[in-house]
Amino acid sequence: MKRFFRELSVLGALAAVLVGMAIFAPAFFSPQPLLSLLTREAPTLIVACGMACVIITRQIDISVGSMFSVCSVCAGLLAARGWPLLLVLPASVALGALLGAVNGLLVAGLRLPSIVVTLATMVTLRQGLNLVRQGEFVNLPDRVQWFGLSQMAGQLVLVGASVVFLVALALAMRHVAAGRFVYAVGTDAEAARLAGIRPQLVTFLVFIFIGALTGLAAMMNLAQSPQVQPLSGAGLELKVIAAVVVGGVAISGGRGNLWGAFTGLLLLACVSPALIHLHIEAYWEKAIQGAIILLAVVADGLRTRKLNR
Amino acid sequence: MSVSPDNKNPRDWKALLTRHEMLLLYVLIAEWLFFYFAGTTTNRRGVVVGFGTLDRQFDILRHSCEIGLLALALTPVIITAGIDLSIGSLLGLCAILFGKLWHDGGLPIPVAAGLTLALGALAGGLNAILITALRLPPLIVTLGTYSLFRGLAEAITHGAITYTDFPASFLFVGQERWLGLPTQAWIFLGVALGVGLLVHRTTFGRAFRTIGFSLEGARYAGLPVARRLALVYVLAGLIAAIAAVIYTARLGQAKADAGTGYELFAITAVVLGGTSIFGGSGTVHGTLLGVAAIAVLKNGLACLPVVMRMNAAEEMSGLLTGALLLLALTASVLPKILSRFRTPHHAPAP
Amino acid sequence: MSPAPLLALRQLVKNYGGVRALRGVDFDLQAGEVHALLGENGAGKSTLIKVITGAHQPNGGTLTLAGQRVANLTPSSARALGIACIYQQPALFPDLTVAENLALRLEATSASSRIDWPARRARAEQWLARLGAEISPEAEVRSLSMPEQQLVEIACALGAGARIVIMDEPTASLTQKEQRLLFAVVRDLRKNGVGVIYISHRLEEIFALADRVTVLRDGQSVGTHAVGDIDEAGLIRLMVGREVAQIYPAAESAPGRAVALSLQAVGCRASGVHNVSFEVRSGEIFGLGGLVGAGRTELARILFGLTPADSGEITLHGQRLTLRSPQAAVAHGIAYVPEDRRRHGVVLELPIAHNLTMAIHRRFFPTTWLRFAAERALALDFIRDLAVKCAGPDAPGGSLSGGNQQKVSLARWLATKPKLLILDEPTQGVDVGAKSEIHKIIRRLAKEGLAVILISSDLPEVIGMSDRIGVMGGGTLRAILPGGSAPHDVMAAALGTTERGAA
Repeated sequence: MKRFFRELSVLGALAAVLVGMAIFAPAFFSPQPLLSLLTREAPTLIVACGMACVIITRQIDISVGSMFSVCSVCAGLLAARGWPLLLVLPASVALGALLGAVNGLLVAGLRLPSIVVTLATMVTLRQGLNLVRQGEFVNLPDRVQWFGLSQMAGQLVLVGASVVFLVALALAMRHVAAGRFVYAVGTDAEAARLAGIRPQLVTFLVFIFIGALTGLAAMMNLAQSPQVQPLSGAGLELKVIAAVVVGGVAISGGRGNLWGAFTGLLLLACVSPALIHLHIEAYWEKAIQGAIILLAVVADGLRTRKLNR
Repeated sequence: MSVSPDNKNPRDWKALLTRHEMLLLYVLIAEWLFFYFAGTTTNRRGVVVGFGTLDRQFDILRHSCEIGLLALALTPVIITAGIDLSIGSLLGLCAILFGKLWHDGGLPIPVAAGLTLALGALAGGLNAILITALRLPPLIVTLGTYSLFRGLAEAITHGAITYTDFPASFLFVGQERWLGLPTQAWIFLGVALGVGLLVHRTTFGRAFRTIGFSLEGARYAGLPVARRLALVYVLAGLIAAIAAVIYTARLGQAKADAGTGYELFAITAVVLGGTSIFGGSGTVHGTLLGVAAIAVLKNGLACLPVVMRMNAAEEMSGLLTGALLLLALTASVLPKILSRFRTPHHAPAP
Repeated sequence: MSPAPLLALRQLVKNYGGVRALRGVDFDLQAGEVHALLGENGAGKSTLIKVITGAHQPNGGTLTLAGQRVANLTPSSARALGIACIYQQPALFPDLTVAENLALRLEATSASSRIDWPARRARAEQWLARLGAEISPEAEVRSLSMPEQQLVEIACALGAGARIVIMDEPTASLTQKEQRLLFAVVRDLRKNGVGVIYISHRLEEIFALADRVTVLRDGQSVGTHAVGDIDEAGLIRLMVGREVAQIYPAAESAPGRAVALSLQAVGCRASGVHNVSFEVRSGEIFGLGGLVGAGRTELARILFGLTPADSGEITLHGQRLTLRSPQAAVAHGIAYVPEDRRRHGVVLELPIAHNLTMAIHRRFFPTTWLRFAAERALALDFIRDLAVKCAGPDAPGGSLSGGNQQKVSLARWLATKPKLLILDEPTQGVDVGAKSEIHKIIRRLAKEGLAVILISSDLPEVIGMSDRIGVMGGGTLRAILPGGSAPHDVMAAALGTTERGAA
């Protein structure tokens, strides 16, 4: 119990928000809008899982938004060219992995700080994309929408897939040795090395992993609308980092888990509709997001201070 | 490791610049010449247009003031081995606050400007408190305020309001010239001088460097570490506010998206100029060279016919700046890595 | 015919640069034996351990394991051969559970191997139960107390099937109850044929637990005895050896009358220091002796404001002080030359001149404007006064040798014209020539009226340099002896015995 206090408190906060919504804005719980919300957030969940791993290893990746855009556009173009979805999906994942590998090489290989590296790749990718596409949309063929299923079925598939992925990854992180390596490396890379782990390799792979997940998430997003906007993915990195940090993953590495990230994501996902239902303008969303990040970090900081006294 | 350049004889200017900065100077000159020849043409009426005109050069100067100010603000921060991702957003927020104070608050421009500077410093103070008092990592704190400040700007303006119709006397600051140079250039030079003196000629600058090289070492020497760190973040906020006022004067309007993406350019300018991202070493004149290099790049690209045809100036400059940052970072660590391969590993001392 | 020893070291030699840390050590360990290793600081104990665990390679001599000669040991090959060491600071992952930590250390780490949590938990439970430790395998290591973490470390060693377990001052932070628990564990290990090398300076433990004891002095083993064949006095004699041949600059004048520093029952719960009371007069060199872990550096940190005291009174020249930060200490005229000169004493990347003025910004640059010429002149003065061998005031601190770095570190604090100067191991790792120079400087400072606290683990140094010697142990002051006391008495006080040997 004590061990997961942080994650449980976020769960409590989520519960409180849900209860509040139930009282003040019960319309929130009508099935169709709720399902739409979860479907919209499904790709974000996938990326959040990857981000949790990255942050646990004591790194950060703010280029996921741009990677998402690039993968979305490329996947869209391939689909528009007639590629079957079964090929587009791995292509998107592979592209994401490749982009992630660039980050990984610079951070793990050259030991550069991940914040600056991913800042650079974020802008390079985004501007490169804008240059090539000039803001043009990609029109997707009908078969891509909801994977050719009905909207309801498609939504259920996406939500279901993301939850299945979450559970599978959480299990893998707990039961496969590689999953524990990220914790060891994030806590103390030197001690990890002495225990036989290769910290640089773990770091490199973690960036590839989040890249691949971003490619997957891009595909999941593709299936939700008839066009690909080049601006899709903007702000994704902040959303995901906020979710993960709120969910108890410490920026200093070594702590936190996927369930916390999941709960944090749900909590933040409720903010936007809560604002609407409370008749607060949507423009407060970014400010609230920033405030939530700060509150979460401050809470963690105070708790660490108390522990160290 | 380069020895601190602080106390070299100012008259010996060649020795003032490290090898890195000399290299940057040559690159800057080469870059400028490239754009001069590639970006200057004579139009149908026989008038010289493009990069090579004085107007254009002054434009470059104008545009580089805001990013230059942010880069100046970031230099002490990065020297202390910290980072501030929120200055671009703070620029936007301050621009909005400035507009609001003047437009809705009815305050005269100078008062509104002064108040904005104070608010900017206060916002920097938020970063400062979280980083020094609570010992939180600057990365996540400024990531949070990056979102918070921009969000506040958007919220205050409901995403739509733009403040315009500023008096001509105010626009003079951003759009006219004074004593031969664009007005804001004088402000920029003033701030550059101030920050330069602070970093290179005062005990504050010494403290920043010491903290950047060795936080514990600074503490053991009795330096007031928390106060000095707080100073760099508050100063960054103040300078971002100055940049906001200038930005508004230049564009003639205050919008919530002011300064979006500026942090990349600022960080690139600082790193390009030779300041180590790991802290301790760095110079203000290096940053100025870096700012010049980026400003010339940005504006030079807009003058190239091929870029003009594609109408892709902003994208090209962003793309190249990102690539440039990666190159600069790689170049900065390359010597360390190469030496690790050349020299055999020594056994550690007991 | 006794069986081949588990571990046998013959004439082991280890040099670091110019320093001869081990000069031909002979040592052997039998299976099922607890063999204590005793020696003062700098005698070579930690170097010996590093060689045995493969962290360092010896320059000469042989190491034999169960009759087989072993060369080129590495930490992983040592572990594979069954050698485990348990340090005072457990090297565990704080955010992982006990079971996980054990697993990381014990299991072959192949990335794709499936983790069997029930097996891990069971194994952890098994080892912990054998130790009699009431620790849940699911507990986060961060939440365990230090002694509990040590027990986890021991479990790691056991789980790895170690045949040779080295324990480095294991009881330093244990309560009585936990100590008894540990002793039971050690006896259990012995019963199972494990050889234990037990490093401790608590003589009562050695007599209670060990079968044999070897004393190291100056990098050599000076005696190995069965525990029943020797007594405390004999051990101390072996540790201390012959009298000091080195000449220290003589005290030139009696210390001034005025009391500079006065401590009354000073303590800091977090660092283990308690009930420390003594006085230092102007012009006096007050030596602070004791063995590692006695609390001397912790006391210095209290006096310098790094870890504020939570009990007692500190008075400097009659003024009661509350020292909450190094700035406050410096403002009151207290200077601290720290032990770790590379990390805390000198900023290696900055020039000597900058290091020198680092503590006097306010005084030397009153308008905060830097005055380079004056700074340079000051630096040249100090370089000359202290005979610092360097390429000039602009040379970075990292370019200096250890001894010269120490001089710069010292000079920085001398520039503050302090009222109290605390020196923490000022000649550690310094060559003989610079050592002597530093000693002369310290004497000169005392003569000029400065109150000096000299923390040193070098017994001859602390005896030869001090006017009085405060001997610390276990976080408190155990005795105050006059300068020039017999090494035997100082060691006895440090060990906390009441033995008084021949002078």
